[in-house]
Amino acid sequence: MFLIALGFLAPALVLLAGLVLYPILYTVVRSFFSADGGAFVGWDNYVTMFTNDSTFTAIRNNVIWVLVAPVACTVLGLLFAVLLEKIKWSTAFKLIIFMPMAISMLAAGVIFRGMFQESPNLGVVNAAVVAVNGAFGGGDAAYPGANPRTDVGLINDNGVIASEAAAAAGTEVNFPLVGVRADAVPASAAQAEIAGTASAGQITGTVWLDVVTGGGGTNGQIDDGKTGLPGIQVDAVEASGTIAATTETDAAGRYVLDGLGTESYRIALPASNFDEGYQGVSWLSSGLITAVIILSYIWIWAGFAMVMIASGLSAIDRSLQEAARMDGANEWKVFSRITAPLLSPVLIVVFVTLIINVLKIFDLVYVIPPGASKPAANVIAVEMWTVSFGGGSNQGLGSALAILLLILVLPSMIINVRKFRQERQS
Amino acid sequence: MSGAATHVRGKKTLARAILGFVDKGVVNAVLVIVAIFWLVPTLGLFLSSLRTVGDSASSGWWTIFTTPAQLTIENYANLLANPTITGSFWNTILIAVPTTVFVVIFGALAGYAFAWLKFPGRDWLLIVVIVLLAVPLQVALIPLARMFGTLGIFGSIFGVILFHVAFGLPFAIFLLRNFFTQIPAELLEAARIDGASDWRIFVQVILPLGGPAIASLAIFQFLWTWNDMLVALIFTNSGSQPLTVAIQSQLRQFGSNIDVLSAGAFLSMIVPLIVFFAFQRFFVQALLAGSQK
Amino acid sequence: MRSITHHRLFTPLAGAGILALTLAGCSQGTTDAAGSGEFAGDTLEVSAAWSGAEQANFEAVLAAFEEQSGATVNYTSFGDNAATTLGTQIEGGSPPNVAMLAQPALMNQLASDGNLQPLSDAASAAVAENYSQSWVDLGSSDGTQYGVWFKASNKSTMWYNVDLYDAAGAVAPADWDDFLVQLQLVADSGYAGISIGADVGWPLTDWFENVYLQTAGGEMYDQLTNHEIPWTDPSVTVALDALATLWGNDALVQSGAAQRTFPESVTEVFGADPQAATIYEGDFVAGNITDDGNSVVGENALFFDFPSVNGSAPAVVGGGDVAVSFTDDAATDALMQFLASPEAAEVWVPKGGLTSPNNNVDTALYPDETSRQIAEALTGAETFRFDMSDLTPSAFGGTPGQGFWQIMIQFLQDPSDVAGTQQALEDAAAAAYVD
Repeated sequence: MFLIALGFLAPALVLLAGLVLYPILYTVVRSFFSADGGAFVGWDNYVTMFTNDSTFTAIRNNVIWVLVAPVACTVLGLLFAVLLEKIKWSTAFKLIIFMPMAISMLAAGVIFRGMFQESPNLGVVNAAVVAVNGAFGGGDAAYPGANPRTDVGLINDNGVIASEAAAAAGTEVNFPLVGVRADAVPASAAQAEIAGTASAGQITGTVWLDVVTGGGGTNGQIDDGKTGLPGIQVDAVEASGTIAATTETDAAGRYVLDGLGTESYRIALPASNFDEGYQGVSWLSSGLITAVIILSYIWIWAGFAMVMIASGLSAIDRSLQEAARMDGANEWKVFSRITAPLLSPVLIVVFVTLIINVLKIFDLVYVIPPGASKPAANVIAVEMWTVSFGGGSNQGLGSALAILLLILVLPSMIINVRKFRQERQS
Repeated sequence: MSGAATHVRGKKTLARAILGFVDKGVVNAVLVIVAIFWLVPTLGLFLSSLRTVGDSASSGWWTIFTTPAQLTIENYANLLANPTITGSFWNTILIAVPTTVFVVIFGALAGYAFAWLKFPGRDWLLIVVIVLLAVPLQVALIPLARMFGTLGIFGSIFGVILFHVAFGLPFAIFLLRNFFTQIPAELLEAARIDGASDWRIFVQVILPLGGPAIASLAIFQFLWTWNDMLVALIFTNSGSQPLTVAIQSQLRQFGSNIDVLSAGAFLSMIVPLIVFFAFQRFFVQALLAGSQK
Repeated sequence: MRSITHHRLFTPLAGAGILALTLAGCSQGTTDAAGSGEFAGDTLEVSAAWSGAEQANFEAVLAAFEEQSGATVNYTSFGDNAATTLGTQIEGGSPPNVAMLAQPALMNQLASDGNLQPLSDAASAAVAENYSQSWVDLGSSDGTQYGVWFKASNKSTMWYNVDLYDAAGAVAPADWDDFLVQLQLVADSGYAGISIGADVGWPLTDWFENVYLQTAGGEMYDQLTNHEIPWTDPSVTVALDALATLWGNDALVQSGAAQRTFPESVTEVFGADPQAATIYEGDFVAGNITDDGNSVVGENALFFDFPSVNGSAPAVVGGGDVAVSFTDDAATDALMQFLASPEAAEVWVPKGGLTSPNNNVDTALYPDETSRQIAEALTGAETFRFDMSDLTPSAFGGTPGQGFWQIMIQFLQDPSDVAGTQQALEDAAAAAYVD
């Protein structure tokens, strides 16, 4: 009997012993040796692991992952599973949510990287964010991104273009601007003209595009070929900050501010003329990258949690809940005292499976972040690959990282084994 | 309590009871929105793959709804004319199919032994298998890269298959053992009384009855191997690399790539999606049985 | 202070000999039927990475050799696996007669393992006749000449959108300071001066290498490459300071560089809706522009040489493919001599896709003005150096997410921290150069 059993088991046992068990032992031993394996270094690799910036970030990120991703997937899965029972198209819904499980994390990574691109022209998420922002009155300025010509006494103060020195009535204040595309200037614009001499109580001037298409001209002077910028709001601001007068430029870029007193005014072109508008969120930057990758993970794995929990729900004996309701328990009590405990075995399975899976997350983190935010997104499995295969050629440290992963899944292993033994006893 | 009242209440589903206060219309609306959110990523990739490099670089895929003239199958034509991509597509098949076959065969043999044969240390061995279920494959990367190098199979398709088979076995054994134990003992007894050997019982009773379970495992293992990137990234070279590795190298490459990326990624998804939609029942079963029992 | 003219002076005799030899070979090949030349009956195996169009063009070069020598030449492509393929073949005792290698490090390693044949005197003389000293040095290992550089690439080209430059009144700059002035003109006209794609760090390392080669010169460049001087050296400070004058200027550099891939940065300049006017990278940018399809190389997409910094002489960073031989026989030697001759390159040059480092190749044969300009910049450079990141340990110079690549990304994001960048580079190099 023993021999027969051995015959059936042999291929699997040989493979498991040679390609799984032996490597574990090898990696444990290897983790105490140096980068090239030549010298015994004791716990050095483990010390490096927690002191080196890049490995430490990886470990910290893995902790974030384990805390966030499994909970998020399970909660969403539970919610979907419960809501599912209310709709007629539950099979279709299940398929849609579950489908990402079938595709590779690489493809998912490519998808999410594209969706979260920074440019609102390319990334659908920022396109949506900007569109929503626009619907609530986002900026629609005439000359986005314009700047004053340098060294002509103008400053750009957080988007407000203003004269450095205050001006008194009767003077002229000119605004040569750059950084505006020729094709962004409205067709109504004409050759820039010098504003007429200011009368008493007036300040005049011209706002023009200080660039001649094709080059030429003198910076800061109104030359042939330089167009006025029409429709720009011009304010005369008192020292107290009150706006004393406001007007708009004409087709040749001229403006006249009238009704001014004897004091000095700062002439300013308010930021609303040049506001580039809301450009969306930099999703793939160091600060948000892990959140985006976790989001992609949830997209893939929420379906798993949903399917598991839905099948758990359908297996529950409904009479207990009914009995509780008869006794006057409210819905929340029914859920928390009866449904949740009955569902807990399934929830634990989902949770443990997700933790095991999340700990060794690799593909998504390898694919999604652009170079600048790679260090911020690092996780243990990626760091392990980088230091041992991706050019780091330090297989000692790589082995130590692999062993760290093994240690981190130990609790899950113990839960699995315990569950198995309980089932055997019952 | 009146019988009628109980009857009415009994017809209420649990969910309705829990969230009885939520309007059905609201639930429908919420789930429709969720479903759209879940579909948009895949749809976006698919539409991106049908646009030219220039279009993709200057505007988003959603503009295709306003200017459908952008649609082109150029990317796919280029992809299929690209020997690296077509070669890696074959490699993916050459890796995924044998892996699935071996995992199923070895897993079924061992699963039968664990389910129906009595031998000393059986429970302990099974616990070892359960422990191995959770072992991260990272622990084997360094030693196996070394071992395969010594054996001269580093970089070969055979090496990748070996790796996947070894790491697919714990799940396969566990899953099939759980299914096989549910086969009624009388069936096996009857066969045994007829004088059938264990081999004949395995082939004539277990395998036919375990068909659905084996199908579940096969689909699961196939998708898993098809979608793998990490193992292939390390254990293949440019001659044996599967699609995932070929595509990810485009991410890092110097030339234009959004066309190859989106079309390539979608190409890599086609087979899994077909398998998924054709056999999703088995796929779900594998998940349920594998982890719940 | 390398002098090209110096070599031209003392080698004409040897050169004449070679010329005579090749001419003789030519006449033989044309008069006799193929297979009846000096080496009729010999079969040579040649391998290189090239496939597709490059393979077809290289096979035309080999066919010219077949015709004049009578030998039969078989070509095989080893794709990206030069090291493993050749290693296996050498172990099995059947290396090809000649192989083209893209990495000088691989040539050095094969040479020190004793697998390569040194060039014959005649082949050395042909190289000395046709190539500048930089290429002779690059083809040598420990003082012995092994290689003939057949193909080269120029990574010192600054590509610009002619329409945007014209509209802004900007022109190809005279030097680095003028470069900043021209970029400002572009910025005034409402477009970003330059687009950088720094998603992965390699374009940034190429930036640095060009500036460093310009400011510190070839000798220092070699020392830094071999980590004989530390990255904290003042010469590195000079180069990083120069880069910071551009990278730190938000008016000139298009924002969002850290998340832009390199192909995207080309589209930002040459796409349907350009946002920036200049992109720096190697001659292969021409391919990206053509792929994008909205601009035409040679018409509205042109390049100028990487600007001279602090008055430096023309210097080019690049790469290439070097022919090395594994067998010691007359036919192989004849092929090596042929590859060192301008005639070999002139078979491929008119077909496009080959920039020859051979000084004596007739530049009139290049199929268009742009490729001719690339080649002339390459052969006219007083200093030529290989891409540094290809010569350093891959942990330092070739790995996304760490070392040289990653630190340059950080420097791009904060160009004010020159000292910190140097220290980070030195730390990374110290760790990578251990083995």
